[in-house]
Amino acid sequence: MRILIVEDEPDLLRSLAQALREEGYAVDTANNGEDGLFSAEGCDYDAIVLDVMLPKLDGWEILKRLRKTKKTPVLMLTARDQSRDRVRGLDTGADDYVVKPFDLSELFARLRAIIRRSANKTTNVIEIGDVKIDTAARNVSLREKPMELTAREYALVEFIALHRGEVVTRTQLYEHLFDENESSLSNLLDVHVSNVRKKLGAEFITTRRGHGYCIE
Amino acid sequence: MKIFKSIKWRLQIWYGLILVVVLAGFGFTAYQLERGRMFGRIDNELHRRFNVLAQALHRPPRGPEGNGQPFDRPSPGQFPEDGPPEQNPRPPLDFRLPTQAAGLFDTNDPNGFYFVIESRDGKEIARAGNVQSLAKGEEGLTAETVEANELPELKNPNPPQVITLGAYREVFDITPEGETVRAGCSIAPELKELRRTALNLTAVGSLVLLIGLAGGWWLVSRAIRPIENISAAAVKISAGDLSQRINVAEAESELGRLAAVLNSTFARLDAAFAQQKQFASDAAHELRTPVSVMLTQTQTALNRGRTAPEYRETVEACQRAAQRMRKLIGALLELARLDAGQEQMKRLRFDFSRTVADCVDLVKPLAKASGIKIFTELSPLEITGDAERLAQVATNLLTNAIQYNNPNGEVRVKVASHGGLATLTVSDTGNGISRDDLPHIFKRFYRCDKSRTGGNTGLGLAISKAIVEAHGGTIEVSSEEDDGTTFTVRLPG
Repeated sequence: MRILIVEDEPDLLRSLAQALREEGYAVDTANNGEDGLFSAEGCDYDAIVLDVMLPKLDGWEILKRLRKTKKTPVLMLTARDQSRDRVRGLDTGADDYVVKPFDLSELFARLRAIIRRSANKTTNVIEIGDVKIDTAARNVSLREKPMELTAREYALVEFIALHRGEVVTRTQLYEHLFDENESSLSNLLDVHVSNVRKKLGAEFITTRRGHGYCIE
Repeated sequence: MKIFKSIKWRLQIWYGLILVVVLAGFGFTAYQLERGRMFGRIDNELHRRFNVLAQALHRPPRGPEGNGQPFDRPSPGQFPEDGPPEQNPRPPLDFRLPTQAAGLFDTNDPNGFYFVIESRDGKEIARAGNVQSLAKGEEGLTAETVEANELPELKNPNPPQVITLGAYREVFDITPEGETVRAGCSIAPELKELRRTALNLTAVGSLVLLIGLAGGWWLVSRAIRPIENISAAAVKISAGDLSQRINVAEAESELGRLAAVLNSTFARLDAAFAQQKQFASDAAHELRTPVSVMLTQTQTALNRGRTAPEYRETVEACQRAAQRMRKLIGALLELARLDAGQEQMKRLRFDFSRTVADCVDLVKPLAKASGIKIFTELSPLEITGDAERLAQVATNLLTNAIQYNNPNGEVRVKVASHGGLATLTVSDTGNGISRDDLPHIFKRFYRCDKSRTGGNTGLGLAISKAIVEAHGGTIEVSSEEDDGTTFTVRLPG
């Protein structure tokens, strides 16, 4: 899952990015509205965390312009808790909002919820054969036995599982699993896929040669 | 009584009372005039007849002094009062009604004219018509009583007396010898007519009173309606709906002007409340961000084990957030005190240019870091005020001039006296303030770039403005985009 954070307070931005990376997300950051909009339009993020008060372009404006081209789920961070502002945010196209100051756990939960909704899933648990993926607890079990997956491996499984039945291209996977700061070694993805197959069974992820990967 | 406390009712009652008095006066006068006119007519008739009677009254001559004239009054003493007339017998009156005068009295009509002549001892000498008996004595009038009561007057050549006896009016006189001559008629039809007139007047008066009261009620209601509108609006406003305004229909009337004044007061109150609300909301908003930083930092750090440098970084970030909150809280408190007028400005004489020079020294390291040169032009100038507070204003303006300047720019500071006002000008060579932002820069938490970076509270200029205004001065800004900004503070000497 790749997430963009647009926030102008440097300390908040840094700790948010760190916390989300530790949760297994690939995180890009922008500290002003113009850069934020540029990144948001240029890449298919799984979700965007967008502050309202920003220099150059404010959150409302970014949202308005972004909605012309993208349906990326957006979680607004707002310091104003008046319903007028919340209504405005939701009406402009935000998928949810979190009022500052917020608890990280709440932010994570809302983030998971908007990602799940955008993938048309209603529950946190995805079951594929013997494999059960709990997107809230971020763990995977095989035949009721918890499996140890690294954060990156989990993200890979979750992403392909959320797009079950579709062919996910390598480019998509790179885009959603690695942020802009990581050097995307072309075989890194193959390593992750091979590790997942070892843990959850070789048939769990099938390879469509020349296209990408798929979970049937 | 509630009714007497209502202006509407009090006006109505006064109005009604005045109307009743005026109508009653008018009605009474009209009645009296009518009555006078009627009685005058009757009296004329009676006098005419009485005169005929008087002329017809002949007394046979008794002596040389008897001149045969009726009612000739003897000189006083000629008939001593103690001397009864019987002792001085005089010939009885000889009365013959002239035939041409007979038609003047109605013998058949009970309400017609009548007359009677009686001798002193009550013997009837002559009569005609339906004579009213005095014995009925409505007024208790007899020849004796009249004589006893009226005698002193009768000694003078008085005109005959006119009296009303119930429904009859009579003219009477008493001859010196004591004969009573009465001519009268019934005034029953006239009295009936008068009663009808009185009834008519009362009816018309009541009708006018009713119409007047109704009209008065309408007028008073109309006059009172704006007051009721004002009161209704005021009630809603006192209930907390400050957006209410009084509907002013007639702007030029007295109440219209009052309503306009009240409306403008309400508008100012509304604006003040809105500003206060906005301020509180902005203050909360500004405090939310540093709290978010601290929460996110600490929660992230506590999620798993961290190395010492990572903890250090977290603590440092928290410290920065806390410092920012401290700065913000200080500024908020200061503004709140300035707003409440609690912050008393000292009133001391001091050299304003010295104070500004100290401030320039204070910000020099900051300017040096950005390669900015500060040019000063400070002429010594004594003013009265709070040196510490005004130094705060000068420092704030200087810091802004440095922060929003271009690298290697210039800041010019000038203290001078203009028309009795001490003037401080701080100009920079920065990018200037856009036309859209310029009217708002003294507003609380207004930031031209909408960002929170740079550690500014967004309250500096608002506080400066409050301090300058507490000194009775003004602060102004002029700015050209790409051509720098100039702040001018004017203080009374």
